[in-house]
Amino acid sequence: MPIVELQHVRKVYDTKVAVDDISFTIEPGTMFGLLGPNGSGKTSSIRMMIGITVPDSGTVQLFDKPFDRGSLKRVGYLPEERGLYKKMKVMDQLVFLGQLHGLDATVASKRAHVWCEKMQITEAIPKKTEELSKGMQQKIQFIAALLHDPELIIMDEPFSGLDPVNATLLQDTLIDLRQQGKAVLFSTHRMDQVEKLCDAICLIDNGRVVLSGAMREIKSRYPANRVVLHFSGDDSFLRHPSIESFKNYNGQAEIKLVENADGQGLLAEAVKHARITRFEVMEPTLEEIFISTVGDKVDA
Amino acid sequence: MRNVWLIAKREYLERVRTKAFLISTILIPLLMGGGIVGSIIAGGKAKSTSHITVVSPDQQLATDLQAELENGRDSHMTVDVISPGNSHTRDTLDSMLADKQLDGYLWIDPAPTPSERPKFSYTPRSTADISTKGSIRSALNTVLLRERLAHQGMVSSDVNAMMEPVTVDTTQAGKSADTTSSFVAIYVLFFLMYMVIMLYGMNVARSIIEEKTSRVFEVLLATIRPEEMMAGKMIGVGSVGITQVAVWLAAAILLTSGPIMGAIGGGSVHVSLSAMQIIFFVVYFILGFMLYSSIAAALGAMVNSEQELQQLNMFLVMPLAACMFALAPVISNPSGPVARVISLIPFCTPLIMYLRISLAMPPWQEIALSIVLMIATIYAVLWVASRIYRVGVLMYGKRPNLPEILRWLKYS
Repeated sequence: MPIVELQHVRKVYDTKVAVDDISFTIEPGTMFGLLGPNGSGKTSSIRMMIGITVPDSGTVQLFDKPFDRGSLKRVGYLPEERGLYKKMKVMDQLVFLGQLHGLDATVASKRAHVWCEKMQITEAIPKKTEELSKGMQQKIQFIAALLHDPELIIMDEPFSGLDPVNATLLQDTLIDLRQQGKAVLFSTHRMDQVEKLCDAICLIDNGRVVLSGAMREIKSRYPANRVVLHFSGDDSFLRHPSIESFKNYNGQAEIKLVENADGQGLLAEAVKHARITRFEVMEPTLEEIFISTVGDKVDA
Repeated sequence: MRNVWLIAKREYLERVRTKAFLISTILIPLLMGGGIVGSIIAGGKAKSTSHITVVSPDQQLATDLQAELENGRDSHMTVDVISPGNSHTRDTLDSMLADKQLDGYLWIDPAPTPSERPKFSYTPRSTADISTKGSIRSALNTVLLRERLAHQGMVSSDVNAMMEPVTVDTTQAGKSADTTSSFVAIYVLFFLMYMVIMLYGMNVARSIIEEKTSRVFEVLLATIRPEEMMAGKMIGVGSVGITQVAVWLAAAILLTSGPIMGAIGGGSVHVSLSAMQIIFFVVYFILGFMLYSSIAAALGAMVNSEQELQQLNMFLVMPLAACMFALAPVISNPSGPVARVISLIPFCTPLIMYLRISLAMPPWQEIALSIVLMIATIYAVLWVASRIYRVGVLMYGKRPNLPEILRWLKYS
């Protein structure tokens, strides 16, 4: 049962086509990356998923039924433009947002305390939001999106503006949530994160899907033909027929294999001549795939 | 409904907790109290306490005048009597004026013939001292009248009884129209509504602008409908206004009742309202406030900053001010077709229907219809406002023009 299903969704603002024929599905227990350059239609797509705007054509299904506002209580949303009531105390704010998602005040407050501990911001609880740093406010907003234990978590650029420590904290939390069977969708333009985290992706550009599917499947479409080999000793194996070209930096070789070679023959040959400290067949990185798909339009 | 309540509760509590609210809630009654105490003091001053000299050839007239000025109804002066004056008296008095030993002197020349009045001339130290002059004039009138009546052979106790001031009781029995009371109530309603709409209607608009700039709306819109948010904001901010006005009114009633008013010496217009009039006052005040607040919400949804709001706030009070022109025809014929039509226009209902109710009770169907129409209008305005809001917040930037707003209404 897919949690989210978009079919041929299209949205036009005045004269600009924001989203043009986008389709994808998100299954429970998956981490889904929505990728694309700025202005490509990521936020517009997300807003249609949660009913802030309605598509001009196409359909949005949440929890396997046509969009219905009642489903929104099962969705957690972190907007790209963060916003909290500045003058409000953190706990009041979290309880208020929890209540809007259908929680009762005592449950909301209990859960808020647990989450604040988890996100290491217990010292912020009695403070007013305006007294907090931007990163802290972002964590509060993150908690607000998760307080009601949503089955679908939608985060628009969740990592922007966080330091590496907090980004990791957030990342681990998202992985936990996926483990619990939640569907997580996040948008980003940072390829390294997507590569590590996502089970499936959808890359959009100019409102159109450029690349979409499970991560494994996408990667398998692109040949793994690069090898990194660290060695000491005789380098004569570098003339092996499976090698198309190579660069050797003092025993750290970057090798490009000829088409359809799998590198095992090369490894066997190398072992005969030299001592091998590292041998790795490199998968193409998402970034490389992007560049080969959309050219240099992606501002990663 | 739960969402509306949650939004309203948050808005109310956050606002009531601010220092600004506390200060203005307390400050206004303090100012009112101060004003009343001030007017008591000023009122005391208005009873002239000047020191004057009366120069008169007629000893009796001079002492009567002295008694009236020293212990009269509206003066507590110190009066010296010189009777009769001589040629040096005027010079002496003039120098006393210059030395500020006197505030003025009254020179009385005898009447040329017995049927005429004596000639009075008052020389004040300062021409600005109007109250002393006024007191002297009324005291003279009293004294002369009394003298004349005594001459006609009237007993002095009868004279005093006749000179008692008349009190007119404006309270009427039954529910018949009391035009003065209705008038006062209508004007109070008008000014109260005007003030509250300017203060708190604007706050509704501001709170919606705040929501846009703080960008909380996107989280909210991901769970609730924009119309729920609008309604919640309006009710929340509106309740703050009603709370404050209630505190002020309570303070005003306390301050103007009993001992304090007694101390000023009464003299105020006595307004008597029936329970019915009070109930409708509250009902129409709240409905009117909500209607105008919903317009404020729509204005707030249209603009991006308070400066832009300033340019539009005339639209908020214009319909209310326009109602004032309808008062005259409604008063002259409260059950006529003009009054009936105008009182059903939602923007005029609070004032005009209320006026009709206090003049001549209209049929209950018309009252019910007016209330239904108002509620429907509030809902419609909120619906439009929420449309404008939903599209407006997502397309920040310039203020939309009318065709754009009309187009936005079609978006969903």
